[in-house]
This record gives sequence, structure tokens and C-alpha cells, in this order.
Amino acid sequence: MKQSKSTQFLLGILFAALAVVGMPLPAQAGIVGSEQLLQSERSTVQREQLQQWMARDDVRQQLQSLGVDAEQAAERIDALTDQELQQLALNMDAQPAGGDIIGVIGIVFVVLLILELVGVTNIFTAI
Amino acid sequence: MRRFAAACAVLALAACASHAPLRSQWPETVSATELADTPFFPQTRYQCGPAALATVLGASGLSVTPDELAPQVFLPGRRGSLQLELVAATRRQQRLAYVLRPEPGALFAEVASGHPVLVLQNLGVSWLPVWHYAVVIGADPVAETVVLRSGTDRRRVMSYRRFMDSWQRADRWAMVVTAPDRVPVSAQALDWLTAASAFEQLGQGPLAAMAYEAATRRWPELPLGWQLLGNIRYRAGDKAGARAAYRQAAALKPDAASYNNLAQVELELGCREAAAAALQRAVDLPAGPAVASALQETSAELAAAPPAAICQP
Repeated sequence: MKQSKSTQFLLGILFAALAVVGMPLPAQAGIVGSEQLLQSERSTVQREQLQQWMARDDVRQQLQSLGVDAEQAAERIDALTDQELQQLALNMDAQPAGGDIIGVIGIVFVVLLILELVGVTNIFTAI
Repeated sequence: MRRFAAACAVLALAACASHAPLRSQWPETVSATELADTPFFPQTRYQCGPAALATVLGASGLSVTPDELAPQVFLPGRRGSLQLELVAATRRQQRLAYVLRPEPGALFAEVASGHPVLVLQNLGVSWLPVWHYAVVIGADPVAETVVLRSGTDRRRVMSYRRFMDSWQRADRWAMVVTAPDRVPVSAQALDWLTAASAFEQLGQGPLAAMAYEAATRRWPELPLGWQLLGNIRYRAGDKAGARAAYRQAAALKPDAASYNNLAQVELELGCREAAAAALQRAVDLPAGPAVASALQETSAELAAAPPAAICQP
């Protein structure tokens, strides 16, 4: 039940997207576009667009589950290119998130402290 | 006790593993530099991403604070910021984020040319990463040190070996922030054009046009730069400008896509004969499926075009 709803939602977005994206194209149909020049060998446009919208939805959900509010998540997604969205959809969890040593606690902290003392790392400036 | 011994053994191995590749040489071309004017934003908790980004944006002439950037890059659930989001947030500030080749030579060339470089470091070890963003602002080849704006340190001095180690563990990721019309010294043409095309894709056409124009100044012999410039001008309605760029591209390298686009724009400028000539050149050249279908459309349009059009030279 839930699945069919989300599928409907996705299809709705897809058709809306095709309507919006598809309209201005005929005016410049004869031009070989920049994306094609940079990245030849494209598969069918429609399948890519479907994947794109799924990636977009996926990244939006991930951002929100990581504590970004809905409005900001939408803005952040709008700032990403198709390729970037695909990359994030593929493995956001595996990508490094530059943060801080303050977040490191417990046994992890102890291990890092030992590594620091034996000279492997250099996190704790004061030591 | 046995567990402790095992832990020690693991640590010893880890130490060996990470010390082995440390013989990284100081690049010969590095001269002593320090970009002392680079702004400094001491980071608050977890916020080294926004702080480092504000630092390099500030150096590029924009005054923006980490607090303003945090909603654009910080991921509370990860207590940090992703590289791709730093790149995207830079674009939102009308600046181009250029990711450097993963080489010390590129990094220090940028610093020497006046660009502070935002780097990702892994301050932990590969199996226990502690990701951190900092900004390289200087280098001293005699003392073998690197100077960074990092965390709460306005001027953190790291030994070259230590720095390289931490940078290596983060796959040597580094980026510079520039105005779209200023190509970084270490830039590679295709990487720059790809970064610039993100503006085009995201509806910031004028910024993409600036970056493509800069590319044609930096690499005037490269047809792709002229092709992209032609396309962005065409999309902006500047058909005469597009024609000039396509002509330049085709003159540098006879290419079906360039001739096709030239034919299309000639046609739209009412120049049937010039369009037919360009199209003739195009069909004689090898073309992939996308270009071939564009060629078909262009020739159909040419066949249907009214003969009495007035050509705008």
C-alpha cells in the first residue's frame, strides 16, 4: 500500500519533470549540447531522468534522516548536479564527513590517544 | 592481558603500515610562502567544514561566516560536512570550487599563486578515521613545514611529513575557490570545464559563460572550450557570439558536432548557404549517435527553411 503510493508519487514527479524539462528542448533541437560534448555515450534519456529523480528523492530522505530540515534539504539538493546527486545516492554513508575530534569518545578516544603517543597520529595539539 | 598484547601488536602493525609510505619528497618547486592575509574563523563544535569554507571564500573576496554556511553544508547526523556539499555550497556563493589533482605539486603551486587550499585530512588512521577540514596557507621548504588555518588554531604549523600523512589518508583531496573568470594555475582544461558546466546545469548560465570564456583565454587551442562557449551563448540568445565560437572550434579541429552547431546557428541567422556549407563539412566527419541525430534534424530544418531569408553576417 505504502509502496504503491510512493511509486505514484515518483511517477507524478517524473511526468512533471518531463513536462518541464521536455518543453524548451525543441527550440534548440539541432544543437549538440554541452552535456553530450562532455559526456558522450549516454543511455536513453528517459531512463536517466527516472534514475535522477529517484536519486534526488533518495538524497533528500538521507539528508533529512541526518537531521537537515526539509526546506534546507531541498535547497541543498537544488545546488547539486546530476552526477553529484548520483554519487551521494550511491554511497553517502561511505563518504567522509569532515568534522572534529571532539566527537570522538570512549574506547575510540583511548585508541587514538595511544596512537598519538606512539607517534602515528597528530590530533591532540596540546600533547 | 592477552587482549592488551594483541591490541599492542595491532598498533605496532598500524604504525609500520602508516610509516612505510612516508618517504614522500618535498616538491622541488616549492618556495617559502605564507598567505598571512587569509581570514580566520575559529571553528565551533564539529563545524570545521563551514569554518574552512568561509576561510577560502573570504580569501576570494566574499565575506560570509561559518554560521551562514552551516545550514548549507553541515550534516548533524554525521557531525561533519561532505566534500560534495562544500563544492555545491561554493557554487551557491557564485564561486567555482576547483578540486585539485591529488598531488603535492598542485597544492603548493596554488598556495604560491595566492590561493589558500581547502584540504581534507584524516587525523586518525585508515581503520579509525577522524576526518577534518583545514586550509593550507603556507609552506616552508627549509623547515619542512606546512602552515594551516585549522580548527581553533589561527596558525597551525605541521611538519611536512605529518601533513602529507594525514592528507594521504584522505586520498589527497583538496580544492580551491575562485571567481568563475579566474582559472587556477594548476587547473586541467577538462576538469575546469566540467566544474564550470555545473553552473550551466544548475541554471547559473552567466557564471558558466564567464568560466568558459576564461577557459578559451587560458587554453585558446582547445576546441572543447570554444564549443561550450558557443553553446552557452546560443542558450543565452547570443547567436552571433555563438557562431564566432563555433567557427573557432571548427577551425581548430574539424569536428562533426562543431560544424553541426555552426550550421544550426547559421540557419537561425538566415545564412542558408553558410549553413549548407557547414553541414556538408559535418556529414563528412565521423559522428556518434547523438551527433548523428542532431545532424539529421539540422538538415531537415535546412531543407524546410525559407529560401529568401536575409543573412546576418
